[in-house]
Amino acid sequence: MKKLFLLASFLVLSILGAAQAAGGPAIELEKAENNLRDQDSLQRGAILFSNYCMACHSVKYMRYNRIARDIGWTDEDAIAKMAYGQNKIVDNVMTRMQPGVGMEVLGTEPPDLSLMARLKGPDYIYTFLRGYHQDENGNWDNIALKGTSMPNVLEGMQRHSAPDDYAQAARDITNFLEYVGEPAKLDRHDLGWKVIAFLLVLLLLSYLLKREYWRDIKH
Amino acid sequence: MAEHKKFEAKNGTVLGWFDRRYPLVSTWNEHVGEYYAPKNFNFWYFFGSLALLVLVNQFVTGIWLTMSYKPSAAEAFNSVEYIMRDVEWGWLIRYMHSTGASAFFIVIYLHMMRGLMYGSYKEPRELVWIIGMLLFLVLMAEAFMGYLLPWGQMSYWGAQVIISLFGAIPLVGPDLALWVRGDYIISDATLNRFFALHVIALPLVLLILVFMHIVALHKVGSNNPDGIEIKKVKNNQGLPKDGIPFHPYYSVKDSMGAVFFAIPFALIVFYWPEGGGFFIEPPNFEPANPLKTPEHIAPVWYFTPFYAILRAVPDKFLGVVAMGAAIMFLFAMPWLDRCKVRSIRYRGLSFKLLLAMFVISFIILGYLGTQPATATLTLLAQIFTATYFLFFLILPYTSAREKTKPVPERVR
Repeated sequence: MKKLFLLASFLVLSILGAAQAAGGPAIELEKAENNLRDQDSLQRGAILFSNYCMACHSVKYMRYNRIARDIGWTDEDAIAKMAYGQNKIVDNVMTRMQPGVGMEVLGTEPPDLSLMARLKGPDYIYTFLRGYHQDENGNWDNIALKGTSMPNVLEGMQRHSAPDDYAQAARDITNFLEYVGEPAKLDRHDLGWKVIAFLLVLLLLSYLLKREYWRDIKH
Repeated sequence: MAEHKKFEAKNGTVLGWFDRRYPLVSTWNEHVGEYYAPKNFNFWYFFGSLALLVLVNQFVTGIWLTMSYKPSAAEAFNSVEYIMRDVEWGWLIRYMHSTGASAFFIVIYLHMMRGLMYGSYKEPRELVWIIGMLLFLVLMAEAFMGYLLPWGQMSYWGAQVIISLFGAIPLVGPDLALWVRGDYIISDATLNRFFALHVIALPLVLLILVFMHIVALHKVGSNNPDGIEIKKVKNNQGLPKDGIPFHPYYSVKDSMGAVFFAIPFALIVFYWPEGGGFFIEPPNFEPANPLKTPEHIAPVWYFTPFYAILRAVPDKFLGVVAMGAAIMFLFAMPWLDRCKVRSIRYRGLSFKLLLAMFVISFIILGYLGTQPATATLTLLAQIFTATYFLFFLILPYTSAREKTKPVPERVR
C-alpha cells in the first residue's frame, strides 16, 4: 500500500515536473532579472514604454490611475509622464497609432502588450528587446522572433548608451510589462503568507480538537 | 467510547415545532449523528470530503465570477481580464476557481485510487461506485466546458480538437459535431451554450449525483482500509463495534483534513496559480483566434491520459472508441474483479502487480498526452495504452484464482 501511495505521489509530481518539458523556446533566453518591487525601475519602465512603445502598442487592460497607484506616482504624475497631459486618469492605456496605420506601414497590427509577459515570459521580452542584429546588407532581424515586423526602436539607445544602461532600460521595460501582465501579483504575494500562517494555526487547533475527541476511540 | 446520547427533539421547543413538520432530527441522525463509520479510516479517506469542499469552492467562486463574466465571443476574454484587474478581489476569486478545477481532479483521482485499492466498488457498493463514475464523467464535461469560457487560444483550439472528435463517428458524426457547436466552427454560439451548461445544467446534475452518491453510501455503509464489513460485529445495543458516529469523530477529523488541504491549495493560489503552465496554460493569455492555430495543442493535464490513448490509436474513430472504453471499463470494475477479498492488504500478489501496472500506465499516458506526438512517444503511448487495457482484461481471470491472505474479523 505504501508503494501505491508513492506511485500516487509520483503521479502528481510527474504532472508538475512535466512543466519543464512542455514546449520550450528554441533559443536560450537571456535572464531579465527584473524586480517587481523596484518602483524606480517600474517608473522608468513606464516612461520608456510611453516614449518607445506606445506609438504602436497599447496596454489596453491598464488604466493610468491604477498604474499610478501601483508604481508610486500621483494621478497627475501618470498623466504628465505617460500621456503628456492628453488623457484622463481613468482612461485605459491605448496606443497613439490610428487604427489601420500599422497594417499599412508594417504589414501587421502591433499587438496589445497587456498580457505579453504572461504569454511569453519576462525573459522573452528582455531577450526580444535586446535581440536585434543587422546582417551585412543592413537588414534587421531579431533572435527571439525571426522575421519580426517590428523595427529596432531602441537602436539609438543601443548605439549611444553604455551597455549597462542599455541593459537596464530593457530590464525596466520588461519589468513594467511584467507588472502590467498581472497588476495584482504583488498583492497576492503579500497576502499569501498571511493566509498560510493563519491556516497553520488553524491546522494546529483543528488537530488538537480532533485529538481531544479521538481520545475516546480505542484501537 | 463515551456513552452516546441520543439526539431528540422535545415538544414545546422550536426544534420540536420544526421536527413535527420536517424530518430534521431523523435525517441528521441517520446521515450524521448516528451514521456509523469504521474507526480505521486512513489518509486516503480524506478525499471524499475534500471533493465536497472543492465542489463548494467551485460553486461559490463560480457564482461570483458569473457576476462579472460576459459569455460572448466579443467580450469573454476582456471580461476575464476585467475580473483580474478591476473587480475587487477578482484575481483571488478567479485563481481559486482555476486552481479548484485542477484540485478537483487531483482529489477525485486519489479518491478513485482509494476505491480501487480497498475494493470499495465491490458488493454491496456497486451503485456507490457507478454513481461516482457518473460523477467523474459529468465532472469531465463540466471542466471541459468551463475551459472554453476564458476564450483564450488554448480554450478555443482545445475545444475545437475535442469537438471534432464527434465528427469521427461514422454517418452521424459531422452533423453531431455541428449540432454540439451550433456552428461550423467554435463560435459565439458554442461559447453561449457551453456557458449555460457549465453554470446551470451540469452543476445541477453534479449536485444531484453527489446527493445520490452519499445516499447510496449511507445505505450500504462505508468500506475501510481492511475491507471488513463492520456491521457483522455488533455490540448489545446493535451498534457496530468497529464503528464510530460520523459526528463528532469524522466531522472533526475531516475539518482537520480540510485545513490541511487548504494549505497547499493556498500556496498554489497565491504563489503558483499557473501551476507551471498546467493549471493555466500560457497560450490562453492570447485571445481566441480562429485563423491562427497554436503550434502545439495540449488539453489540460487532467485529460491527458485519455488524450494519449486517443492519439495512440492510428484510426481517429477507433481512437475515440478506445478513449471511451478507457473510462467505460472502470464502470465495470465491480464485475471485472471477481476476488471476494476487498482490501489490497489481504489480496494476492497478482492484484498488487496489476494495479501498479495500471497506475503507472495512467501516469505515463498522462505525461505523454502533454507532449507532441513524435514517433517514439506515439510508440510509448501505444505500449502503455495496451498495459492500461490489459489491467481490465487480465483482472477477471487472475482475481478469480487469487491466493489471498486471511481477512481478520475486526479492523486493525
